[in-house]
Amino acid sequence: MSRTKYSGTPESASPDSRRRVARVVPGLLAALVLTLPVAIVSCSSEMGASPSGDPPLAEPMPRTAEPADQEIWIIAKEEASDDEEGPFETVVVTAAKRAPDVGDVVFDKTYQMGVNANDSDGRRTAGDHAKVVGRRVPTTEPPVDPHRVVRHSPGSGMMLASFPIGDRRPGRRHVPLPLKHTAVNADIDGYIGTVNVRQEYGNPYDTKIEAVYVFPLPEKAAVSEFLMIIGDRTIRGILREKEEAERIYQEARARGHRASLMRQTRPNIFEQKVANIEPGKAIDIDITYFHTLAYKDGWYSFVFPTVVGPRYNPPGHPDPVDAVRRGGARAGGGTPVEYLRPEERSGHDISINVSVDAGVEIEEFKATHRIDVERDGRNATVSLKRGKTIPNRDFVLDFRVAGETMKSSLLTHRDPETGEGYFTLMAIPPASRDSVARQPMELVFVMDCSGSMNGRPMHQAKEAVRAALDRLTPDDTFQIIRFSDRASQFGATPLRATEQNLMRARQYVDRLSADGGTEMINGVKSALDFPHDPSRFRFVTFLTDGYIGNERDILAAVHARIGASRIFSFGVGNSVNRYLMERMAEAGRGVVAYIGLNASGRKVMDGFFERVSHPALTDVEIDWGGMAATDVYPAKLPDLFVGRPLVVTGKFTGEPENVQVLGSVGGERLVLTAAENPDDEAGSSLAKVWARLRIAELANRQTWAGDPHNELRDAIRNTALQYQLVSNYTSFVAVDSMLRTAGGHGVTVHQAVPVPDGVRYETTVD
Amino acid sequence: MARAIKLALAAVAIWLPAAAGSAGEEIRFVPVEIILDSPEPVAAWQFELADRNESMKVVGVENGDSDAFARAPYYDRGAIVRGDAERIVVADYSLAEESRLPRGRIRVATVHLMIEGEADFELTLVTATTSDGRPIDASISQQPLRTRER
Repeated sequence: MSRTKYSGTPESASPDSRRRVARVVPGLLAALVLTLPVAIVSCSSEMGASPSGDPPLAEPMPRTAEPADQEIWIIAKEEASDDEEGPFETVVVTAAKRAPDVGDVVFDKTYQMGVNANDSDGRRTAGDHAKVVGRRVPTTEPPVDPHRVVRHSPGSGMMLASFPIGDRRPGRRHVPLPLKHTAVNADIDGYIGTVNVRQEYGNPYDTKIEAVYVFPLPEKAAVSEFLMIIGDRTIRGILREKEEAERIYQEARARGHRASLMRQTRPNIFEQKVANIEPGKAIDIDITYFHTLAYKDGWYSFVFPTVVGPRYNPPGHPDPVDAVRRGGARAGGGTPVEYLRPEERSGHDISINVSVDAGVEIEEFKATHRIDVERDGRNATVSLKRGKTIPNRDFVLDFRVAGETMKSSLLTHRDPETGEGYFTLMAIPPASRDSVARQPMELVFVMDCSGSMNGRPMHQAKEAVRAALDRLTPDDTFQIIRFSDRASQFGATPLRATEQNLMRARQYVDRLSADGGTEMINGVKSALDFPHDPSRFRFVTFLTDGYIGNERDILAAVHARIGASRIFSFGVGNSVNRYLMERMAEAGRGVVAYIGLNASGRKVMDGFFERVSHPALTDVEIDWGGMAATDVYPAKLPDLFVGRPLVVTGKFTGEPENVQVLGSVGGERLVLTAAENPDDEAGSSLAKVWARLRIAELANRQTWAGDPHNELRDAIRNTALQYQLVSNYTSFVAVDSMLRTAGGHGVTVHQAVPVPDGVRYETTVD
Repeated sequence: MARAIKLALAAVAIWLPAAAGSAGEEIRFVPVEIILDSPEPVAAWQFELADRNESMKVVGVENGDSDAFARAPYYDRGAIVRGDAERIVVADYSLAEESRLPRGRIRVATVHLMIEGEADFELTLVTATTSDGRPIDASISQQPLRTRER
């Protein structure tokens, strides 16, 4: 046994070491200057924080001047670009003449064409981008020449490194920010995904910085590994209680050590801090998580969200996720997310590679982005067609496996050290059951008409509601509720779906516009508080992007009011708050569907009617056969809709054999036998997947019932620590104690992100 | 030795890096190199580092010098807080060919620590084995490093 005592006599670095540093630093700087296209121009405080560490105080970006009457011709329609960096110029216009080949484009007020282009009413040919040509509108500041390197310093002094140069189109303004690239590498084995995310940070400024980046991950991602990489050195982060991790990070930061901290602010929103990145230096952060893939109608779905949408927080909310302009974050509570203006680009891009071994033949792939697929037998590798893209919308990869081969299955794993067994059971109801006449329904549409829905999202939501109205029969009743700052509704009570009422309803929907805040609680109350008609099956459909910061309030309200209603949540947009949508549907014993901005809202709504037109598998029970199952999640088994599997995860003892799922379909008894899959490599992640679901379940209970004695909090924390998972009460921290950088703790720079594709900066960012 | 584990006492300089000027507390961050001395190529190892005085907190575990162990070693969280002292169990293995496995004296890890007060380290080599699982007559030692400044 080796034993050593330490007692502290604080000691600074020796004069020799200082001389060595002094010799090295100029050499490094010289190398930088020689290898990078550096130019130094006049000073400004673009990133704006003081070296004392106060939050960055960016110069307010001058608002673009409103143009006078300016006639703009749309002269061409071009194919959609998969990377959103298409050859489109960002131009502000007030009027437009439509070219004959553009089709369904309507402009009625100021709008912007470009990355987030949408006409004000959102009516644009789905999937198309229009090129707008015209004079640029004069602004209150001269346009920035992206070819030229200008000084963007968070403090003062001179710039050492160049801006990212890649977009040479006029009208674009390059903003140097710490996060350069995100590399996503996923391995899918069966329906378990192991995802590695590497964030590459650099310091393009002349002074030391702390980088802060708020980013999304899937809401049930079990984040279990965290590495800080400096050159060829890799430091594994330590999972600690949240407050302790924060304290360690702050102590290290204050002493000049390079350090990083990853904390969860929502189940699907995380904050990454990287302290003491020196000028011209780089630090990578490497995160690994596990999750199960969603399955629907024969398709597995792998989702990687890339940007947090701008959230609305009700006044006085104690833990907001604020949407602020670049440079607008302030110290204090909550989680500020800074957004780039539409004409700004940071140079941050993302690459995604997915290796798939579904265990059976894959018949087809489809994705939200253009992809390359390389097949090798039953395996396939999928990557972005151009290698990388800007991160402003979810990457969704769906793959369909051969229908005949899809069976209910049981995946098990025994921990070799503890002997504990974990399993995931996926029971898939047969898809070929005949349609039956559906029960008369009371269909309540709850439409989010807040500012973030302005443009294309609103158009998609309207299309979906119109499609649903077309499917109603005179035996049905319906109601339409709109909400933004306040809620209002189409009828005083649900109306019969007569031709006249439906016509009026369509007109009502056509007139809806999107503006204002997202007081979703008003929509929930309006939708669930009125008396239920017992002769009809009530479905409440929420159509929203879910851009709110008070998710827990909403979920608690849904849980308290759900009664006999079912909630089908429709996430509208390309970067939806999936955590809210999934949990609402879960609380409402329904399912969730997503309406992308280039998808057909009608088709998605038709899928909803198809689902409710088939009998659900009810009274679900599981015969565990030779094994004893415990700690099964979800604790309450839901009804199964056609095409949607039952997925339960738990612990077990005994032998996993003869497991059956029993239920009733249209009065008929149904037995599904689950084939056991042998313990394989993917199985080793089951323990973490189980622990993440347990945490989600405990968090649900917190939301619904409160936690006056902190018992649920303790249970979540202990589970997270035992299984090494980031949670609301645990964070990863890593410190490099080998080096103390000079000069305090530097300036905090928030990584500004683009608003999601289809979302308007002007209506969502403060 | 039956289990072929040697325990060695490290020669340690008694010094600590400077605390931050402004903070002034007895908090400092210290890297401790873990050196394994193995007469045979080592394919797997595990050690335990503890502090009898409960003054240390582990804030990172870094990879060592061998290419065969390029990733950061794994640690057992369950052992971080056990008994009355903060401790950490660190382990790694390599599937590299035997010719690439390290032998002799090699740094297998650096443990990054936050120390408040006086630390009293205790380092134990739990195991070191060859690629076929045979225990090695190895020894382990620790070497706290001076934190560099620049």
